[in-house]
Amino acid sequence: MNALQRVVNIVVYEWRRALAKKKFFVLVILALALQVGLFALFHYFFTNPGPWFDAIGPYLEEIKAMMWLVGVLGPQSLFVPIIAIVIAGGSMSEEYERGTADILLSKPITKIEYMAGKFLGGFSLLGFVIALTTTLGAALAYGLFGPQESIQFVPVIYLVLVYANLLFFSLTFMFSEVLRRTTLSMLAAIGILVASMFIGGILSTMYFMSGGEQLYLEISKWLPNWSVSNLPSFVTSELIAAPENPFISVIGGDIQLAAIIIAAYTIPSIFIAALKLVRSDVMKRTE
Amino acid sequence: MTEAVIMVSNLTKFYGDFKALDNVSFQVDKGWVYGYLGPNGAGKTTTIRTLLGLLKPSQGEVQIAGIDPTKNPVQALQAVGYAPELPTLQTFFTGEQLLDFLGKMFGLAGQARKERIKQLLDLVGLEEWGNKKIGKYSKGMVQRLSVALALVNDPLVLIMDEPTIGMDPEATAHFRNLFATLSKEGKTVFISSHLLDEVQRICTHVGMINKGRMVFNGPTAQVLETFTQQWVVEAELKKVTETMISALRKLDYVEDVEVEGNKMKIQLKEKKDYRGEISSEIFKRKGVLLGLNLHKITLEDAYLRALKGGQ
Repeated sequence: MNALQRVVNIVVYEWRRALAKKKFFVLVILALALQVGLFALFHYFFTNPGPWFDAIGPYLEEIKAMMWLVGVLGPQSLFVPIIAIVIAGGSMSEEYERGTADILLSKPITKIEYMAGKFLGGFSLLGFVIALTTTLGAALAYGLFGPQESIQFVPVIYLVLVYANLLFFSLTFMFSEVLRRTTLSMLAAIGILVASMFIGGILSTMYFMSGGEQLYLEISKWLPNWSVSNLPSFVTSELIAAPENPFISVIGGDIQLAAIIIAAYTIPSIFIAALKLVRSDVMKRTE
Repeated sequence: MTEAVIMVSNLTKFYGDFKALDNVSFQVDKGWVYGYLGPNGAGKTTTIRTLLGLLKPSQGEVQIAGIDPTKNPVQALQAVGYAPELPTLQTFFTGEQLLDFLGKMFGLAGQARKERIKQLLDLVGLEEWGNKKIGKYSKGMVQRLSVALALVNDPLVLIMDEPTIGMDPEATAHFRNLFATLSKEGKTVFISSHLLDEVQRICTHVGMINKGRMVFNGPTAQVLETFTQQWVVEAELKKVTETMISALRKLDYVEDVEVEGNKMKIQLKEKKDYRGEISSEIFKRKGVLLGLNLHKITLEDAYLRALKGGQ
């Protein structure tokens, strides 16, 4: 059996482990249900426009044709990072807590192969969840609002979404190995996500209040949430290139910087997790 | 010529400031059934976990079939089966699925794996439970499945940490026979256990550890010999008289006589069965003998003495 086969074996194992968790299913179903609910709401407003709709009235048809963007990018704002945290949070730590790491690591496999399998298994599962939300979003848009423009870019945007979610996935994965406690690692990652959103909000406010002081904006870009939530929008804007569209015109930004920031968080996280695993003992059950 | 399958050389392990193992050395050769004994916290599980590459030695080294498992787990652990103490298995799998998964980890091919799984479930008496989730198993069943998991790769070395804990007496006897059979097939079995009777019955060799230090290492027969100081004849009589006690004390081969009610403990000077001579002496004094037993040393006696000596 070669190294690749050993890694693939752990990838499959990781899928089964994650899919056996109720909280994972609840979260995915919740995300999909909210997506459906949101579209139902939009559909209601678009078919029964009130007086407050006047502002976007002239653009209504254009917006309808781009509603797939809401479906594809919408879940990214919160649900997908949370699902990433749930999948990665228990990936390593649960095996220590339950004592099952003994069963796995006393077999002919290196620690690095084991970790690679765990990481790729969890991340590919996240990729599958993103595929579900993306497909559902595009399908709902088409079903409720008719033919969609530029929908051919969905596969590219899907790949960008997957890449963007590397950040919180790998950060939580690192916590899972370093802390070896599932609840603690999830709380740490959610704390970073929430703090990042909160600080980002404060910095944006300060930016506007200071009359456009760039420093606030520059700092906010290095917060983990900025790149995760913005990179897919930046790429979408670049691909569709329709500045006259009110949807598209506001979401442009620095793609390269966002991509670099994601890598800057992801690579050290993976490295730290690997270092901790290789250098530490596999202790008895910790639960 | 002996062939060392497990080798532990000057192994020391620290957990922070606590020294869990102190310069432990021993060797287990091919075909041995090695019983590793020690009280709770002596360092048995730490030794086993180091052998499996789960813990790194602070000093010294371990080898399985000449390979260091911490440096090359893929090669070192290919022919090793391991059953942990009170195992917690992946409850989302069925017994069959977990055996299948671990079979894959050892590189067993599809059809061979299927056959092996069926064979192992039969062997551990879980043939009816193979397709049920492990979460539904009792503790004893988990323990049995754990033994099956340890055998999935048909290992040359079987490492078992308290393998029969939680099993009923019937299953314990079954597994004791299984380990003996495996040894006859040329497999090396390393068992950590606190069930001394079990170890005495099946182990060819014994290692005793206390507070992280080896206090004995050698053949089971030798441990009994080493820690035997004397044999004792226990006699139960209808009535014990002073003349009988003094007569017995005067015998050349008797060290001392202790009396407790109608029972006498006659300590012998040498390791020889003097029951015939003692009974004739009692009959000569008109004693009525109700019972007469020669009490040789058991592994438990030897173990307790070894621990006392090691402290």
